[in-house]
Amino acid sequence: MNYHLRYLPLPDVAEGMVLGAPLILTEKGVISFSLPEGHLLTETNLQQMKVRHAEFVCVREEDTRSDDERADAWAKAEARLQRIFRAADLSLPVMANLYEAVRAYRRT
Amino acid sequence: MALQLTDQGIIDRSKSMPAFPRVVTEILATLDDDGATLGALVHHVERDPVITARVLSIANSAAMAGHSGSDVHDVRKAVSLIGLEKIREITLAVSLAEFAHGCRMASYFWEHSVAVGICALEVGRFTHQPSGYALVAGLLHDIGQLWMAHFHPLEFQMVRSAASSGTEGINEIEQRYFGVDHCHIGRLLATNWGLPPSVIDAIYFHHDPDQGLGESLVAITHVTEVLSNALDLTGREGNMVANMSAAACEKLGIDWSQDLGPLFGRIEARTEYACRVFR
Repeated sequence: MNYHLRYLPLPDVAEGMVLGAPLILTEKGVISFSLPEGHLLTETNLQQMKVRHAEFVCVREEDTRSDDERADAWAKAEARLQRIFRAADLSLPVMANLYEAVRAYRRT
Repeated sequence: MALQLTDQGIIDRSKSMPAFPRVVTEILATLDDDGATLGALVHHVERDPVITARVLSIANSAAMAGHSGSDVHDVRKAVSLIGLEKIREITLAVSLAEFAHGCRMASYFWEHSVAVGICALEVGRFTHQPSGYALVAGLLHDIGQLWMAHFHPLEFQMVRSAASSGTEGINEIEQRYFGVDHCHIGRLLATNWGLPPSVIDAIYFHHDPDQGLGESLVAITHVTEVLSNALDLTGREGNMVANMSAAACEKLGIDWSQDLGPLFGRIEARTEYACRVFR
């Protein structure tokens, strides 16, 4: 089964979603709330996060797309990336590294 | 033929723009003042009814989530619920959103500014740079374009069209139409408004940072402006990445070959959240 990680703004996070990375909230440098990777979020967790002003959460979602759908989405994402970098000189290491970093992120 | 603009003319005309929110410079002063009190911040917030309403709205949202059962009616209680740092962020973002709206700027401008501001906060933390001014530098980095759009909307639109359809840099296109670029105008405005020197440098050098790298805020603002476009944070058709300074990346110690997925994810999610809150 395929999974992918998504970083969602808190209003888009729902009960039953699974944390894709540990959630650690701090106040004045002190950990005020934490949940482990793989934790199944409850309504109470969502309220606890809201009270502590969480803005986003990393969740792990099952990727239900077919191979064709995934390939199509990736082709669109890569075309968009090439369009954004149309004026960049990718022979320069710094530009090539930035391009690859964003490309790797889009691939996840 | 380019417009014939003078520095004094640019500053004189800026006086007919909506007043730059005084609360921004006052909030920035509290960042530098070790003796700044909670009371001083509350005082600044309470003078602006729009900011007060937004702060109370966010505080009430948190209070309701905690089932406290009581509405938050005063700013002091709101600050205790939300925290000083968040109040500063809300105040800066709402003040500058009002200013941009008063200047009749398209929503794209504001969303791009918020994206760069959030990006600057996150990259500043990621690279362990002092980030006290990162948000405000990100929010204000294109303030010169606000002046251009306000006083010369036709030329500004032509610049935007040329930038969207080609590969020429925005500053070169602006030079052709205006005789100056938005970094130059932004520096004049920021100086006239009494903003801190590091913020002025960040505005002036954000497209050409190598001359201003003595100030890390310049490197942060430059890198995050490029990164916000690379990540397509506003989804605007004309988004383009042309150059990024290797020296600025080195100044910040960013290694683009490491796994930056968590950083990019945080930036995307926080930007989307902020644009919803402040829209």
